[in-house]
Amino acid sequence: MTQTLHALTANRLTDGIVVFWSPTGWAERFPDAELFTDAAPAENVLAQAKAQPTVLVDPYMIDVKIEDGQPVPTSYRERVRALGPTIHPEMGKQAKGGPIIEAIQKAAGAARSTGRLSLIRRK
Amino acid sequence: MSLYRYDAIDAQMLEDRSAQFRDQVERRLSGALTEDQFKIHRLMNGLYLQLHAYMLRVAIPYGTLNGAQLHKLAEVSRRFDKGYGHFTTRTNIQFHWIKLADAPDILDSMAEVGLHAIQTSGNCIRNTTTDPYAGATAEEIDDPRVWSEVIRQWSTFHPEFTYLPRKFKIAVTASAKDRTAARSHDIGLKVRRSRDGELGFEVMVGGGMGRTPYLGQTIREHLPAKSLISYLAAILRVYNRLGRRDNIYKARIKILVAALGAEEFGRQVEAEWKALDQSALDVPDVELARIRGAFGTDHFEPRPAVSATFEARKTADPAFARFARNNLAPHKKPGYSIVNIALKTPGEVPGDCSADQMDAIADLAARYSLDDVRVTHAQNLVLPHVKLDDLPAVFDKLVELNLAAPNLDLISDIIACPGLDYCALANARAIPIAQHIAERFSDPVRAEEVGELKIKISGCINACGHHHVGHIGILGVDKKGEEFYQLTLGGSGAEDAEVGKPLGPALAANQVGQAIEDLVEVYLRERKGDERFLDTFRRTGVAPFKEAVYAEAH
Repeated sequence: MTQTLHALTANRLTDGIVVFWSPTGWAERFPDAELFTDAAPAENVLAQAKAQPTVLVDPYMIDVKIEDGQPVPTSYRERVRALGPTIHPEMGKQAKGGPIIEAIQKAAGAARSTGRLSLIRRK
Repeated sequence: MSLYRYDAIDAQMLEDRSAQFRDQVERRLSGALTEDQFKIHRLMNGLYLQLHAYMLRVAIPYGTLNGAQLHKLAEVSRRFDKGYGHFTTRTNIQFHWIKLADAPDILDSMAEVGLHAIQTSGNCIRNTTTDPYAGATAEEIDDPRVWSEVIRQWSTFHPEFTYLPRKFKIAVTASAKDRTAARSHDIGLKVRRSRDGELGFEVMVGGGMGRTPYLGQTIREHLPAKSLISYLAAILRVYNRLGRRDNIYKARIKILVAALGAEEFGRQVEAEWKALDQSALDVPDVELARIRGAFGTDHFEPRPAVSATFEARKTADPAFARFARNNLAPHKKPGYSIVNIALKTPGEVPGDCSADQMDAIADLAARYSLDDVRVTHAQNLVLPHVKLDDLPAVFDKLVELNLAAPNLDLISDIIACPGLDYCALANARAIPIAQHIAERFSDPVRAEEVGELKIKISGCINACGHHHVGHIGILGVDKKGEEFYQLTLGGSGAEDAEVGKPLGPALAANQVGQAIEDLVEVYLRERKGDERFLDTFRRTGVAPFKEAVYAEAH
């Protein structure tokens, strides 16, 4: 069974762009995301993220798996967030390409996103 | 054109609204407002947070635009988005890549031409929709834009109805053929005349889609037109008082009407109405005449009913003839036509329109259609007043723009919500399914052979893609973490309204296209005479269709 990793994501307040926690701060691309093997340190960063309401909206933790040696968000909703609209490959984060983006595009199957709770109230 | 012009009070209101929102955005960015505090203000200005960015939904009151407004939407999409917009089933337009910090500037810019984002979100009375052929079709009993504008003026910022239990949608139709999905609305109003010729409305209440679809039920066969606003107020008051606020999924008026029964709900409305000071609420005749006057100023030239130019091109050019057969509708004036522009070119995104296309359509409207453009609930556009002599020139320009798909109401004219490609609520993608089906049936000869077939796709149970009332409805679901699609058959949003029935177990994404092929084959095999897909389905029932789609599984 493949190991489940964790990453932190949010939307940036000023422009709504999807961001991921990286070792150097909040980054726009999933390939830069810091991957946590344990939930505890990720929860720690999540708590810090929630204390930054003028930077982020709705930070939360997502599950990540390794496929063909590359990290890929487990949920397809999170894969779409990490890529951009699948109907416009020239738009969003997928436009730059790279091996991790390609791995995300190939990935299939998923569990429900951990970030989908109470969305109708959040929108 | 005969577009209602905002007066100085309206203009000041938009300016004030934009200034208020600028202050609210600044306070959010500074931290003075929390996200929860800000969200209500954001949503009341049409600004949602979606998967990839903020989305701004701009109101197009009863789907009517002039050229300057369409040019402005093109400008907004270029300056603040990625050069395109998405027309919605509420006849609005939304931009998917908006920055929060830009939103006040966008509202300022749009206010210059009377555009805004009021009534595009929140639990208020949303943008009223109407017949896109209003003022152009001879079928209509009265111009429904007049009544839609009356409703707009009454409902905008209405203090009593700004915090309803849930959002509230009204449609006004005035022809025998319903192009508004009136029975799928919280209130559907059908303009009619009584036996003695008095203008009035059939009032239908409690329709809606979402996870619990209902068709609206008639609570009054004939409401005198002059009493419209007081009667709407009575309905809204009963709903505001009794509608559920404890459960968001049971908060729409359809749940209340279903729980009470239409008869009892109607009785309570009548009692409320009688207790109201109707004369203080209803629109004075002089004001109604003023609003009506704004819509009656189109100048149609006297023209021959037959155009030699138009007829010659039809004879010489099969592609033009096909476009004429499928995308034109009769106009009330001789020598004119209604032109439907299907934003459904196979392979493209349903309802999407690029900035260049918007500019070009605005120019076409200015030159050929009395500066008038309509948006339809099927995510298409209409040039309502084109001279027959001008149709070849309009067609040629649409071909150049890749907007001449001759497929109105045919199998590739598919409604699709943004789905999981953009929407934070979606469970599955809708657009790629629509693109795949449209490309499979892109042969216009075959599409015409199949005839009227309305496919509607939603990426989740909220049903923004109106799947419940599709002849074939497709609902995206999350099945054990995979995108699956539940098909329904036999729905209709037209005058023969009906909620579709589930076909069987949900299908994987790569099975949907073949399933549509199978359904079409059954229809072509079973149909009698001039039956549409819907007619055949209603006659045969689900059995032969189900058997064809699931045969391989057995």
